[in-house]
Amino acid sequence: MDDHKPIDTADGPAVETPGSGARRYETPPTGRPIDDPQAAKEAGLAHNEHLKIGSRFLRGGLADGLLKHATGAISDDDGQLVKFHGMYMQDDRDLRPERTKKKLDKAYSFMIRLRIAGGVVTPKQWLILDDIATTYANGTLRATTRQTFQYHGVIKSNLKRTMAAIDSSLLDTIAACGDVNRNVMTATNPAQSGAHKTAYDLGKEISDSLLPKTNAWREIWLDGEKVVGGEEEFEPVYGKTYLPRKFKIIIAVPPSNEVDVFAHDLGFIAILDKANKVTGWNVTVGGGMGMTHGETDTFPRTADVMGFCQPEDALKVAEAVMTVQRDWGNRKSRKNARLKYTIERYGLDAFRAEVENRIDKKLEAPKPYRFDGNGDRYGWTEGDDGRHHLTLYVPSGRVKDIDGGPQFLAGLRRIAQVHEGDFRLTGNQNVIIANVPSEKRAEIEALVDEYGLTKGAGALRRNSMACVSLPTCGLALAESERYLPSLIDELEESLERNGLKDDEITIRMTGCPNGCARPYIAEIGLVGRGPERYHLYLGAAFDGSRLGKLYAEDVDASAIKTTLDPLFADYAKGRQNGERFGDFLIRSGHVAKTTNGPDFHERIGALKPAA
Amino acid sequence: MARNALLPRTAPFGDTERASLDAVLGAATPIQRAWLAGFLAGLDAAGGQPVAQPVAPPKASEPLTIIFASESGNCEALAGNVAKLAKKQGFKPKVIDFADLDIATLQSAGKLVAIAATWGEGEPPARAVETYNALMGDGAPRLDGVEFGVLALGDTSYAEFCSIGKNLDARFEALGGKRAYDRADLDLDFDKPAADWIKGALKALAPAEVASDNVVAIDFARSTSQDEDEEPSRDPVVVEVIEHVNLNSSRSKKETIHLALEFADGAPAYEPGDSLEIYPENDPQLVEEILSATGLTGDEALRKALLSERDITTLSAATVERFAKATGHTDAQKFIESGEVKAWLEGRHLIDLIEAYPAALTAEHLNTITRPLPPRAYSIASSRKEVGDEVHLVIAAVRYTTHDRARTGVASTHVADRISNGAKLRVRLKPNKHFRLPSDPATDIIMVGPGTGVAPFRAFVQERRATEAPGRSWLFYGDQHFTHDFLYQLEWQEALEDRSLSRIDVAFSRDQPEKIYVQDRIDQHGQELVEWLDGGAAFYVCGDAKNMAKDVRAAVVRVFSKHKGLSDADAEAHVAGLERARRYQQDVY
Repeated sequence: MDDHKPIDTADGPAVETPGSGARRYETPPTGRPIDDPQAAKEAGLAHNEHLKIGSRFLRGGLADGLLKHATGAISDDDGQLVKFHGMYMQDDRDLRPERTKKKLDKAYSFMIRLRIAGGVVTPKQWLILDDIATTYANGTLRATTRQTFQYHGVIKSNLKRTMAAIDSSLLDTIAACGDVNRNVMTATNPAQSGAHKTAYDLGKEISDSLLPKTNAWREIWLDGEKVVGGEEEFEPVYGKTYLPRKFKIIIAVPPSNEVDVFAHDLGFIAILDKANKVTGWNVTVGGGMGMTHGETDTFPRTADVMGFCQPEDALKVAEAVMTVQRDWGNRKSRKNARLKYTIERYGLDAFRAEVENRIDKKLEAPKPYRFDGNGDRYGWTEGDDGRHHLTLYVPSGRVKDIDGGPQFLAGLRRIAQVHEGDFRLTGNQNVIIANVPSEKRAEIEALVDEYGLTKGAGALRRNSMACVSLPTCGLALAESERYLPSLIDELEESLERNGLKDDEITIRMTGCPNGCARPYIAEIGLVGRGPERYHLYLGAAFDGSRLGKLYAEDVDASAIKTTLDPLFADYAKGRQNGERFGDFLIRSGHVAKTTNGPDFHERIGALKPAA
Repeated sequence: MARNALLPRTAPFGDTERASLDAVLGAATPIQRAWLAGFLAGLDAAGGQPVAQPVAPPKASEPLTIIFASESGNCEALAGNVAKLAKKQGFKPKVIDFADLDIATLQSAGKLVAIAATWGEGEPPARAVETYNALMGDGAPRLDGVEFGVLALGDTSYAEFCSIGKNLDARFEALGGKRAYDRADLDLDFDKPAADWIKGALKALAPAEVASDNVVAIDFARSTSQDEDEEPSRDPVVVEVIEHVNLNSSRSKKETIHLALEFADGAPAYEPGDSLEIYPENDPQLVEEILSATGLTGDEALRKALLSERDITTLSAATVERFAKATGHTDAQKFIESGEVKAWLEGRHLIDLIEAYPAALTAEHLNTITRPLPPRAYSIASSRKEVGDEVHLVIAAVRYTTHDRARTGVASTHVADRISNGAKLRVRLKPNKHFRLPSDPATDIIMVGPGTGVAPFRAFVQERRATEAPGRSWLFYGDQHFTHDFLYQLEWQEALEDRSLSRIDVAFSRDQPEKIYVQDRIDQHGQELVEWLDGGAAFYVCGDAKNMAKDVRAAVVRVFSKHKGLSDADAEAHVAGLERARRYQQDVY
């Protein structure tokens, strides 16, 4: 049994202490992070630390960079800073080969990620976001794996216009990326209306509370008034150096784990009473997906359940966890800077003790809970408040009009024009048309049909995710969003042949090991290694609680199906009642079980011939 | 003595005779020479017998005013030719650019030759606009007693062929002038007919006593380029294409070819601002279509001629008339008489005419109907100081559809589609002394060159980099999309880096909902622009003549008005003053 999670009611709560007994942990640092340039230099801190210190609270050279009209780029350093403003500088990698010959610079553009706490968007906002997509971006809205939208292809000269338009929707992009608390995700399970609202309220409260206070965003993008002097007061929580690395918070409401609570730095799992009312929160820490190929001291890690807190303490706990990470996190090596490494380095016990010290209160022992999956529930559901919710499968979260297929952009625009509830983005890149009153349901349904928004997708596809990858992502080593659909076509053939076409199996693909689509906790995880080559990870839990294991290295794209086909056949024949694909592969001895991050790289490979 | 050697060594005389003739001719006054010329001509005409009464010399220093309205420099060159010949015939010629002309002086001109180009859709050359409008307006002087002749240049592919020359011709008469010689309206192949017209006009304008046939024809066309040693060769040469690349991204709607040409025997001594003419070939497919339509597919000689010698696209009213006359096609004749030809010509080419009025055409007919294939001039995009014996050009492929038929620009698609690395092209230098960097390298320059209009500014920046000119430079560039149409983007970045370019402002029209053009950037940065110009900067515009150049000029007038508090009229006068001072120069097409 996985003793650190999930905790089944029948088994009783358990508290995990990684490597308890045998491991020696380092002594944590004291005081606030170094924010003096000279001291930072002497301490050998990472380049980004120097950048942050010298950035005048995230301003850097951004304003001047926007005035350099001959280039679509900004400086490398500003490229790091602009992440804090919700943007990544990218270039169209499809075009790279021809550019120099044509005496053209790289085809730079920006990815702009919104901050939408809990993924809740009003119809009015939806219409503005849609308009921005077609006016300044590449004509699509991309629902991410973290309940927000991002735009691709916005060129430098349109950044300010785009930001102004986003601002007009009363949304923003502050801290959507960068070494800060990113977008806070909250459970979307619409059936539990009351619990969802509680989760959303907490998420929103945390999001607002941990938002950077610097005025740089308004100043640079909206020509807001420049603040003169008094720099120090702007970031009481973050200080000049913000966090060592990205920080992700999540609120989950069992039994659905569609937000993938174990994949994030800090999580709150709602503990419900019989009336589905939230009685408090289990607190999870130290989850994270990213790693670096070939460096085994980097690894994905599922979060530990650290304890239980009362509803009124949740915000304080969130702040405390983040500030401990702020002070303890590794600022010399960004590859080992996330909370998951902090906890591996200093131990969960020491970390918990420091959090308790900062909230001046002991955490209680975790309470029992149970998750049954990390996918979305498609179709109509009725909430316990009598409202109706329609979860739509959006392929790879790409809201666009598909030739000969669903017209997501046009259809959802029409719906936004008549919808009186709201929209929810899910952690699986999908869209929920939420809070539809009974009398409106038929009208929405008619529009959904008119634009083909629920046109069939098989079980595997509905449980799939892909990151954006090529052509825009600078980190991509292989295709992902553009390739996964056709791979699923191939795999569906195999599944159908093996009688598994209606079985829910999670499959996720990313173009690089940084894990945006959380491939390491999918039953079939594919991680790009190079053009048309992927590492294949198997054996993860269907509910997102256990990491997979590297099963086959550098699988040629054309060989993915032939690698999986005999495993599907074996699963079809040998599974026990209700047994999930990932669980089966471990029980049947195909692949070793990963218990947590540090053993992710142990006992890799196929344990026996597939067929 | 040697420096007075007028007779070439090839003259059919012995060395001694040549020396003697040189001694006489070298010391002779123009009048004496002209007399001698007339005398000798008369001698021949009289069958070798000395005539009793040789032709009298022209009156001493008969003043002749030669005015020209030139855009690309052709009219200016012809005006120079008139002056040279006139001088030889005893005139005292004075050549005046329209831009510098005080029209009040025309009433005392006596003898007047006007050479005028028609530009775009029937417009005067930019530099001539002001004077032209004055001449056409109420303030024009009376020209009673003035004898004049007008030579009009134009392009039959435009509807308002030679309209400026025609208007001037009528206007001079209306103002009381006396037409001494009939106007000629010349197409792109004007060299020979222009020479003929000049001879005839000078004869007509000469004082009565020299108005005989006994005037020696001097082949000035041959001699002009040899006159001044510093002028580069204008002879066509064959060059090799060493770089041929489409500068637009593969996602662009546009196609702009960067062409690097290598001159094996050394590039002509071109200056930044000059143009290079390309002798193109026609689209072989169009040639086949015409051959098929005329049933002449078997005529190899004709195929060759149509490919590289005849203009087989341009269709003008004159073409239709020649066609009707040559073929005797009655329907075509009726069509001409219907008066609907002009409207029908719009967007149509020769092939449309041949298909609309099928006739048994011969190779001879086609030669009669078509005009010679003219070379196409492109502003040079390089400086010799940076590229040595190369010339770089930047050529936008012209493709469009009219009347359900895909059309292509002859030279641009010849270059884009049928030329690649290693290919040979026949070219000829076309100097443009009205588009020149300031003589003082410390003078600031402002360059407005959207699209291929950026060509000469690449040359300017290269030149200023090579000469380490201290003056600042400011480029306004524009096109459709920043990402896909930013011609020479990497080079501008380098130029900004090494300071050969001080500043760039860009206007990409289709990157945002509202169209943004270079003139909008001029408005936006008007204050600084005025400061630069007030500080002595020279202003250059290159590119589209139809809209851009006018819009840019209007914007400059506007910023002067706005930032200096001038009235519209004063701001306009201010810009006109810059033009007269050669600090506002245009190379537009």
